[in-house]
Amino acid sequence: MSAREWIGWIAATIVVAVAVHLASVWYLPHAVMHRALSKMGAVNTIHHQKRVDEHARGVVRPSPDLLYSACPFDLSNGPLEVKAPVPPGTYWSVSAFDNNTNNFFALNDRQIGGQPLELIILPPHGGVEPMHIAGRLVIRAPTANGLVLFRTLVNDDRQFAKIDAIRRQATCGTWDKTRDGASNGG
Amino acid sequence: MKTALKILAVLAIGTALGLGATWLFVIRGAMPGGVTDGPWKTNLLIGSSGGDMATRASVAVHGLLALNRSETIYYSTDHDSDGNVLDGACTYLVTGRDPPARWWSITAYAADDYLIPNPAKRYSVSRTSVTRNAHEEFAATVSRKHFPKDWIALQNGRFNLTLRLYNPAASVAADPAHVALPTLKKVSCS
Repeated sequence: MSAREWIGWIAATIVVAVAVHLASVWYLPHAVMHRALSKMGAVNTIHHQKRVDEHARGVVRPSPDLLYSACPFDLSNGPLEVKAPVPPGTYWSVSAFDNNTNNFFALNDRQIGGQPLELIILPPHGGVEPMHIAGRLVIRAPTANGLVLFRTLVNDDRQFAKIDAIRRQATCGTWDKTRDGASNGG
Repeated sequence: MKTALKILAVLAIGTALGLGATWLFVIRGAMPGGVTDGPWKTNLLIGSSGGDMATRASVAVHGLLALNRSETIYYSTDHDSDGNVLDGACTYLVTGRDPPARWWSITAYAADDYLIPNPAKRYSVSRTSVTRNAHEEFAATVSRKHFPKDWIALQNGRFNLTLRLYNPAASVAADPAHVALPTLKKVSCS
């Protein structure tokens, strides 16, 4: 093989390497999220994880002071309805992540101002227009799949049972428009 | 036939190099934009959703499901304030005043980044659990040996600490390298 041929083949290898590198970097957030979501269980339902200890080996560096409740969602059958009471006297937040790990929504106990959370998450395209749902916080997800994650802080171990009971009242499911319409009419 | 083999070789070597670079620079590599404050390191890109493709990949790998800087800022270290690698065979004292945040905690993790097994479940100290002297200073012990209070349990081997600031003061995000954070001193080793 001539020197010129060698240079040609080496150049081709570099082009392939750069293309594969860029494609894998672009795809990485999607792969990471897919792996995390697949460990969390059924979609459109809430999973209240028990308090973190040394046996929690799903996500690295879990906080032993937080209670995590997670709702992996799939909006292909319609919007998601998320409801939760806010535990008083401690840090609480709800955040939402899209299929590429981007955090597209976050709200904490201070920002919500003592009101219970009533959130509707619309699919990226179509669905009802935000203004048609009165009295709710309405957001649109950038992707049909993703995750809603609640963090509730146990700032005092003596309050654990009380805080845990309140955060377990959170619900998450496909939005039932007919039921909602009836309650609005009544 | 020979050309087909050469094309296969180009594809195989190119793919291996491309994936190798991703593993080396993004998955194993450090995140861009790191900031140091004493022994503590942080990265304000954690929890962000903007940025270029490489930054987004790095955030996904190193800060999956983390919150943005107005909710939580995470500092971590695997060195003491004198620059020595943290060793589970030693006892350390974490001293300071409450950092400027609504709530904070310091948690120890084993080298694999999971919590350190201990029957007393003393994984962390926090703003609510720690005791302070008349000067508002706290001193928590990080050790394999059992302490009645203000204690984070260790096991043998390397470990690291994470300091979480919940709803940090605006000054933290503005200048994360100059926050009055706790110091970490080695007391003894066994």
